[in-house]
Amino acid sequence: MKLAYYPGCSSQSTCLELGASMAQVAPRLGLDLIALESASCTGSREIRSANRDLFLALNARILAQAGALDLPLMTVCNTCTLNLLDTRKALAEDSETRSRIGDVLGELGLVYRPEVEIDHFLWVLLERVGAGRLRELIVRPLSGLKVAAFYGCHLIRPQHHYGFADAREAHMIEDLADILGCESIDYIGRTECCGFHTSAESEKVAVGLAGRYVRSASECGAHTLVTPCPLCHTVLDAFQGQMSEQLKTNLDLPVLHLPQLVGLALGLKPADLELSRHAVAVELGID
Amino acid sequence: MDIVRAKVFRFDPEVDHAPRFETFEVPYVPQMRVLDVLDYIHETLAQDIGYRWFCGVQKCGCCALRVNGRELLACWEPAQVDMVIEPLKHVPLVRDLVVDRGPFEDDLMRLETWLQRSKPHPGFPEPLFHRAMVPAIEALKCLACLACQSACPVLEDDGNTGFIGPAPLVQLAQFALDPRDGADRGRTAAIEGGIFQCISCYKCQEVCPTEIPLVDGIIEPLKRKAIASAPEKAAHTRAFLDIVEERGYIDPVQLVLKTRGLAALTRPGWALRLLLRRKVDPRKSVFPKRHKGVAQVRKLFEKMRGRRS
Repeated sequence: MKLAYYPGCSSQSTCLELGASMAQVAPRLGLDLIALESASCTGSREIRSANRDLFLALNARILAQAGALDLPLMTVCNTCTLNLLDTRKALAEDSETRSRIGDVLGELGLVYRPEVEIDHFLWVLLERVGAGRLRELIVRPLSGLKVAAFYGCHLIRPQHHYGFADAREAHMIEDLADILGCESIDYIGRTECCGFHTSAESEKVAVGLAGRYVRSASECGAHTLVTPCPLCHTVLDAFQGQMSEQLKTNLDLPVLHLPQLVGLALGLKPADLELSRHAVAVELGID
Repeated sequence: MDIVRAKVFRFDPEVDHAPRFETFEVPYVPQMRVLDVLDYIHETLAQDIGYRWFCGVQKCGCCALRVNGRELLACWEPAQVDMVIEPLKHVPLVRDLVVDRGPFEDDLMRLETWLQRSKPHPGFPEPLFHRAMVPAIEALKCLACLACQSACPVLEDDGNTGFIGPAPLVQLAQFALDPRDGADRGRTAAIEGGIFQCISCYKCQEVCPTEIPLVDGIIEPLKRKAIASAPEKAAHTRAFLDIVEERGYIDPVQLVLKTRGLAALTRPGWALRLLLRRKVDPRKSVFPKRHKGVAQVRKLFEKMRGRRS
């Protein structure tokens, strides 16, 4: 199955292990990923606040690039997914802006393609690969592994994109964990916010919020957190030291990216999935 | 007969030593609302229960509370078989389910949420078209019920971040997005509102009973004004724009250094750990790879530069 692949900035910088594990996992799932190498940043929360037209143009350019390949677009970051979905919605609702952005892209030799399907890796796993095929591919069921799902905001809110009247209803990661043979645990942070989007300026909010969730997952018996978003991963993993200081406890809970959890079930080795790159050592007793 | 089990938060700070939950069993009647359950408890089981409502038809915003951890209007949501009913968070408690709206009203005074004209009133009929009011219309749907304020995670730590919360910002947006208003609302949003502390989690939007697009329709337009009026408070956003324009993508190490300056180096132990675990690679920040799309990205910046719309 061929997909255009938008790797985003994180998987090429602070979460190199996400890009590396995806490169290992995708072929085993039968996914032929065509990376959009000249795609830009989607603007995170900053560009969309500062300059909406620029935000729309950057994202429309990415959709044009995927459209030129005539392929669905796979993402691996919640915020990038939402930015692309928001762009498609905004341009569908505003013909004046759509035409203006279309003209600018035209000068770059690109054509805006609103019909491009935008699929996060989590949805690709459940909807394109499917539970049946995934079960066939598992060579090492992760039985006994207790995972705590951390969805991150931008894959479950706002409602007009994702359909949850109450985001706590989300269960895709738990469904996936079940397919992979793990046990999902319930805790207070499943659908909460990691606070990433103010953390470059100050990690105070992120550490305060995420610390509570990591502690809760740990107290509820999780062996690892798993998240579909590299931004959440950065907070949950890299800031655990500060969380421990603030909570006067010793948090030491590994945090897996989604393709790493899948990769383990597909029989890949921790080294293939670059688990050693995490700030919190990943020791799950799986070789 | 079906029974609704309501576990209600009870606490009178003037009398009680600690909060407690009291469970009431209420006979279910078709189309029963949360408010009907509270009315039954008040009329039949516990006359002293404290709760507040006025209009009963989703207009006044007085009856907001939390049911099973979720903010809602008691007058507008169906009763559930099992309910834990609690007061709103992030506002002082008066008693049981009644909260003190005083601090919110003080915030509005501080934000000066009334129309401030820089030009004299043109007289009647005032030339004002629907289209000009479109940006403010969503904000004008606000009931000031404070559900969003309660749902905001940034306010969890006793509000010590400087963020005023979504509810006062919606009220500010009613005037900031009104074409007749002439006050510098962007500066107010940045300085008094601490708007750059919003983490864009959409939890406020999720609970808004009038479905105001709080993030895209309120916070972001206010941020846009704040960036223009108080650029010194928007170092993070300015750094982000500069880096993407220069490189085509974001380099997190460079972003933190540019945003915080030398303050970024106050935790050397942490930085060293991230280096040793290969979580960050400063070589990439100093010697960036050439991004294949950077020329096109710069072109988009150039084309859209004037459009801080």
